[in-house]
Amino acid sequence: MANHSQFGFQDASSPIMEELVEFHDHALMVALAICSLVLYLLTLMLMEKLSSNTVDAQEVELIWTILPAIVLILLALPSLQILYMMDEIDEPDLTLKAIGHQWYWSYEYTDFKDLTFDSYMIPTAELPPGHFRLLEVDHRVVVPMESPIRIIVTADDVLHSWAVPSLGVKTDAIPGRLNQTSFITTRPGIFYGQCSEICGANHSYMPIVVESTPLAHFESWSTLLSS
Amino acid sequence: MWICKDVCQSFKLLGFLDVQSVPCARESVLYGSLGSLVVGLGHFLATSRVRRSCDFAVGGFICTMLGYWFYCRYNLAQQRIRQRMLKEGMRNKILFEGSSLDPERKQTGNERSDS
Repeated sequence: MANHSQFGFQDASSPIMEELVEFHDHALMVALAICSLVLYLLTLMLMEKLSSNTVDAQEVELIWTILPAIVLILLALPSLQILYMMDEIDEPDLTLKAIGHQWYWSYEYTDFKDLTFDSYMIPTAELPPGHFRLLEVDHRVVVPMESPIRIIVTADDVLHSWAVPSLGVKTDAIPGRLNQTSFITTRPGIFYGQCSEICGANHSYMPIVVESTPLAHFESWSTLLSS
Repeated sequence: MWICKDVCQSFKLLGFLDVQSVPCARESVLYGSLGSLVVGLGHFLATSRVRRSCDFAVGGFICTMLGYWFYCRYNLAQQRIRQRMLKEGMRNKILFEGSSLDPERKQTGNERSDS
């Protein structure tokens, strides 16, 4: 989860998020280079006297065409690589559905026998000590770790969005439409997210909690819930 | 490689690049500064032109910084791939050790049959 006043990304828990963080660092480094150049040019301009002696500017026009093209290529290539990587569907081991309602999420594991449950936020007054305010839910989404998971997101009433920052997942939940995304959790843990599309009065109070566990624990959880 | 996560206070260059938590950032900026100094000073000593030397210094900073950045990130990516292969190998060794699928067992079996 995010700490208070956190500005940067959360720690990555999926390979896609690791790639996104690396691309972000790369983009920031390119931005630093550009900002340094622009600051230097700005300083030069401020120190120069104005003149209208320039007639022919072919060299500088060549430079300020080629340089931005190089910068765009430097940014576009890794960006497109990650974009196509995100669209790969790698024979998921598990498919689950997330349905957005006002104002809770419901999940269906139809690979098993009708395993469905609702996930409501735990109100602050009922929160046990040490738990996270506005983030904890009564029933978490349990998934096996290091397994490709497909999640189909939709909504029952208005627009919602199923988002878990540390997994690098954000998918709109649109009524009458099924949106598909997939992820792999690289480590066991609990990953928090929140609804990311304004959906009414309690939009801020419908969090998402994904619990990634070893396969044996996932199997015992699903058996327990199915019975 | 220097990565400072929770212990050090963050230092953001130009207000947005956290050089302490981004791998390779600190080294890139430092090598860039060194490159800028070398190129700018070298050009000035050779030509005694201040303005042009400053231009070369800024260009040297950008080129050295980006050059080292790509080199460092490439090495980091290779290291990550090796780490993943090692992790996978260790897990497979634990899983298959002593079983019929153990590659070491197959290897010693072949050696025995050869001798």
